Amino acid sequence: MEKLYIESTKSTPEIRFDPVINQMYIKGQSYPENAFKFYEPIFAWVDEYIEQMEQEVLVEIYFHMPYVNTSSSKCLMMLLEKLDEAYQAGKKVMVRWYYDKENEMAMECAEEFKEDLTVPFEINPVEENS
Amino acid sequence: MGSKTTAAEVLVPDKKSPMYDRGTMKVVVLACIIIILSIVMTSSISYLITQEAVVDKLKSRDMRYIIDSMAAKIDGRIERAKEVSVILATDPAVIQWVASGETDERLGEYAKGKITGIARDYDYSNTFIVSNITKHYWAEDSRLISIMSESNPEHNWFFSALHSGKTVDLNIDSNTARGDTFVFINALMKDQGTPVAIVGVGLTLKEIAKEFKSYKFGEQSNLWLVDGQGKIHLSEKIEEIGMYLNDFVAPDIASQIIEGNISSNQPQAIEYTNQNGEIMDLVYRVTKSTDWKLVFQIPRRESISILSTIKVNAGIGSFISLVLIIFIFYYISHRIANPFKRAILLSKEMEKQVSERTQELSEKNQKIMDSIDYAQRIQESILPPSDELINMFREYFIIWEPRDRVGGDFYWARKIDKNKSLIAVADCTGHGVPGAFMTMAVNSILSHIVDEICDNPAVIIQELNKRVKETLHRNQSSSMADDGLDIGICYVEDKKRLVFAGAKIALDVKRADQVYHIKGNKKSIGYRRSSNDLEFVNNEWKIEDGDIFYLMSDGYVDQNGGQRDYALGHKRVNQLISAQGEKNLAQQQQAFEDLLNQYMGDEPQRDDITVVGFTF
Repeated sequence: MEKLYIESTKSTPEIRFDPVINQMYIKGQSYPENAFKFYEPIFAWVDEYIEQMEQEVLVEIYFHMPYVNTSSSKCLMMLLEKLDEAYQAGKKVMVRWYYDKENEMAMECAEEFKEDLTVPFEINPVEENS
Repeated sequence: MGSKTTAAEVLVPDKKSPMYDRGTMKVVVLACIIIILSIVMTSSISYLITQEAVVDKLKSRDMRYIIDSMAAKIDGRIERAKEVSVILATDPAVIQWVASGETDERLGEYAKGKITGIARDYDYSNTFIVSNITKHYWAEDSRLISIMSESNPEHNWFFSALHSGKTVDLNIDSNTARGDTFVFINALMKDQGTPVAIVGVGLTLKEIAKEFKSYKFGEQSNLWLVDGQGKIHLSEKIEEIGMYLNDFVAPDIASQIIEGNISSNQPQAIEYTNQNGEIMDLVYRVTKSTDWKLVFQIPRRESISILSTIKVNAGIGSFISLVLIIFIFYYISHRIANPFKRAILLSKEMEKQVSERTQELSEKNQKIMDSIDYAQRIQESILPPSDELINMFREYFIIWEPRDRVGGDFYWARKIDKNKSLIAVADCTGHGVPGAFMTMAVNSILSHIVDEICDNPAVIIQELNKRVKETLHRNQSSSMADDGLDIGICYVEDKKRLVFAGAKIALDVKRADQVYHIKGNKKSIGYRRSSNDLEFVNNEWKIEDGDIFYLMSDGYVDQNGGQRDYALGHKRVNQLISAQGEKNLAQQQQAFEDLLNQYMGDEPQRDDITVVGFTF
């Protein structure tokens, strides 16, 4: 399976999904004009990835998103629900959400996601030095 | 835009073609000048060098060769005549015949036959035997033409020849009337030491004069044989014979030639300018057998006349090169200039296209903007008018800032009866025109629900959820289109009791310095994935005097900016509200706007923004 890499833009995050080391990495703001169009290929990749995912392997998903607009957050929710389903199906999945300490909206956003999910969801503040 | 395009179009052809042509012409003219100059220079130099060489060759070789040849010819002819004369003078049979006083018939036949034969066979005009014994003058063809007499001055030559004792002598007789010069060779015939006769031959130089013509070097050249007095004895032009050298050359040159060193066998060259201002080249030399001099002169102009072909050729060469150069330069500059020209045309074409496209785009943009302007008017027309709101609240403010002139945010108000009213703020997904479409639908559904069903905020939201889903998700196939909304609704009764229900929109209440954040429910509504059974909670609030209520879409708190470009956040809004104190709502509106503007700085607006503040 191929890696998925999408470069970041002003309104879309950087996507770095690596099936070899079983890590998914999303970093950056997300407020594209058409969020579904942006996330569609990502869903497709994740669907395929979950399909061939092995039971024992721990999959980690890193989020570091300072701002997610409403329609992007719907898409992220769909993405997380796919992982949630996989988790419920017995696969090892771990979500790690990072937010900059000062960015309360990012934390609130993460908490809202977490509330609706069963998958292990870690929310970590990071020092703002980036 | 239009005027700019016209200006550029006028400017380009104006500037371009003359600029291009002038450059080419400059190059061509410059190249022509350089090449003409170099041709003229090399031609002149080679002309001068050649002229010098030609003149040098003429003087040192050609003229000398001619004059030496002629001298040799003359000398040769005379030497031969001398030999013939001497042979005749020493013929024993002839001597015997003369000595016998011409008595021996047999010898006489021999001697007469001899001189006739010599004249005939060796091309002499005369042959003669003049006896000292009989004084008979025997000429060729056995003619006895005279008897010598000492009293006859015409016979002086005979007696002086006898007396001189020279074996062989030369006697010149020029006959001006006949235009001829005769040279007589007189050989002394001796019989046992005693002179018995003068014999010899006479020859004309006319034959040699003929040869002068064959050596003719040019139309204007002269070849003369002159004697010690400067008299011309031979010339290829008969009329010049008998004239003097002075008649043709300057007197000082003539005397220089006549009196010049006779002993030298070497030809002498003289260059002088005659009375016509022409440069003349002259060569002279003395002949061996006589003291006469051969003079050959030719005008410089004529001798270098062959060089005039060089002049002509150089001229023709220059002209041909000129034509070729002009042609080649024109051709090359055309070939080279063409891509340049094409580039200019191309860029002009592109400029034109760009300006056309820009024009097109700006027209399209204008159309879209006009259309959006109109859409904005329609969207604004669904918003409650201010006179309605004034009736509902003691004071209120509204910030309604769609990001793209129209948007997904709207506010809604309805006075149900004298004491009851509803106010809502909704945030539909999407911005701009798509968002505006949503607001139109949601606004209408919301009005229907309130008109037909109830005024209970939680119920309204639940119903809205179902109806929006029904309205927007009729077509199952386009599964990716999933739109919904956030909404917060307040029901107010008698200005005493407020009931709030929210779907992802909260209500902030300011009471004195305190700010109460009433969250409502977390779920949005209307999405395909929103459950039909979503339930919402009504939050009761007993209104006290001075309570101020704020409903806002997430555009305000989500606006990025500040040092780290984070969202504005709830904390700042809370602080803003609590800091308002006793300020009226117009001032508060200003405070909200100021905070937003100051925080976002130069960042663009991220989302549609709606803030509604009201008090009773």
